[in-house]
Amino acid sequence: MSWKRVCAAGEVAENTFRKFEVDGIAVIVANVGDGYRAFPPLCPHMAEPLVESGIYEDGVLTCTKHLWQWNLRTGDMVGLAERKLLMYEVKREGDDVLAYIERELAYEYHEEDELDDDDFFSGD
Amino acid sequence: MKVTIQSKSGELSFECEVGENLLYAGLRNGLSLPYECATGTCGTCRARVMEGEPEIGWSEAPGLSYVKQEKREVLMCQATAQGDCTLRVPAKVADGGGRGVAPEYGTGTIARVEKLTHDVMVFAVDLDTPMRFDAGQFVVVETGAVPGGRAYSMINYEDGAAVLEFVVKQKPDGRFSDWLFGDDRTGETVRIFGPLGRATFHPEEGKNVLCIGGGSGIAGIMSILAKAAGEGYFSDRRGYVFFGVRTAEDTFFMDELSAHAAAAPDNLEVVVALSDEDVPPALERKYSALTFATGLVHTVAAERMAGRWDDLIAYVAGPPPMVDGALRMLIIEARLPGTDIRYDKFG
Repeated sequence: MSWKRVCAAGEVAENTFRKFEVDGIAVIVANVGDGYRAFPPLCPHMAEPLVESGIYEDGVLTCTKHLWQWNLRTGDMVGLAERKLLMYEVKREGDDVLAYIERELAYEYHEEDELDDDDFFSGD
Repeated sequence: MKVTIQSKSGELSFECEVGENLLYAGLRNGLSLPYECATGTCGTCRARVMEGEPEIGWSEAPGLSYVKQEKREVLMCQATAQGDCTLRVPAKVADGGGRGVAPEYGTGTIARVEKLTHDVMVFAVDLDTPMRFDAGQFVVVETGAVPGGRAYSMINYEDGAAVLEFVVKQKPDGRFSDWLFGDDRTGETVRIFGPLGRATFHPEEGKNVLCIGGGSGIAGIMSILAKAAGEGYFSDRRGYVFFGVRTAEDTFFMDELSAHAAAAPDNLEVVVALSDEDVPPALERKYSALTFATGLVHTVAAERMAGRWDDLIAYVAGPPPMVDGALRMLIIEARLPGTDIRYDKFG
C-alpha cells in the first residue's frame, strides 16, 4: 500500500471528524482547521468506537468512556490519556485527502509479548 | 494465597483469601487497580491471567464484551482466586498513595426502607463498624437473597459514618430492587464492600462545584452537598446543582435540596429539570428556594451555566444517555478539561 485517497476535503467540515473505509481499512479523518489528521477508529484504551464515544472540539479528541484526550494537531496525549493515538501520515492533493497506509494501524489491546518489549507496558 | 499483578509500572503482589474477589482483594490491600463500576458492567478492570486458575464468576457480565476469554482475560471484579495467580493489568498500578481510605468488607442491617416515588426508594444500613468515605463514593451491597453485588452511592456524609443511606430505582427485572420493594426488608443483613469510586468532592480543592444528576444519580450529589454544608463551603464558593427527572411525580429530595439552597441563598443554586412536562405552578410555589425548568437536565444546565464555567469541578451521575449528554456538553460547550470532570461510568 502507499498513499491512498481517503475522502474529498469537503467531506469533513472544520472541527469535525468522520469515518471512512480505504481498501477495507477503517480510518477516521479529522479536520483540524489548517489540515487533516487520519487515525484508526478505536480508542487505544479499551477499543471504544470513536465515532460513537469520541468528541472532537477545538483540536482535542476526547473518548467519553474514560475521558482520555489527545491533541490532534500535535498527536500529544492530554489530561488523563495514558496511551498515544496512532496516526497515519496525511497530505492534501487538490480536493482530495490522502493518507499513507502501508498497513492497518491497530493497537495491541491484548498484549502477547514479554513485559520488556511490550509497547503496552513500556509506559509513556 | 498470593496474587501477583504485572502492570505498566512494574510488579506488585498481595495476599488474598481463597474464593475472594480479585479486584476487591487488590483494592483492600491498597493497590490502585483500574475499575469503575466494580460490578461487572464497564469492563475497566479487565486483566489477563498469566498463571493460576481464577474462577471467572458471572458468565454473562456485560463487561465481558471488553475481554477475550479465549486468551484467558477476565474481569477482576467478577473473578475469584482459587490459588496463587499472576494477572497482567494494562494500566499503571501503584501500591498505596491514592486518595481516601482503602476499601474493606463490612456487614450491616437494613434499618429503614422508604418509598420516595412510585419507583424510587431510599434505604439505610446500620453498619456493624463505621466507615470513612469521601463524599461522592459508592459501595457494593450484597444480600444473600439475590446473587451478585449492586453498586450504590451514599447519599449521606459523615466522617466515620455508622449509617449508610442509598437510593434505589426500581427497574424492570432489577432483582435487587424487586427484592427490596417486594416485602419489608428491615432487619435483613447485607454485606458491604467499600468505599469505592473516584468522583469525589474535596473541599481543599477550593473550586466552585457543578453537579448534574439524573434520577437516582442525585445520590452522590446529596453526599457532596451534605459534606459542603457541614463545612460552610458555599459561604465563599459557588455551587450549581441540576437535578433531572421526567415529571413532577418523579421528584424526590425536594425538602432536602430546598434546605441546602435556603442555607446558602447567595451562592448555591438548585435547579430541578423536568424532561417530560411543563413545570406545575404548584410545585414552584411549594419549593420556592428551588428553581424549576423544563428540558433535559444537561441542556438546562448548559443554558443556565453559560458564561459561568470558570474555576469549577463538575460532577455527573445518572443514566448512561444523560451522562453522555452531560459529558459532551461539558467538553464542547463548557470546554472543561477532562481532569475537572468527575463521574463513575457504570455503563
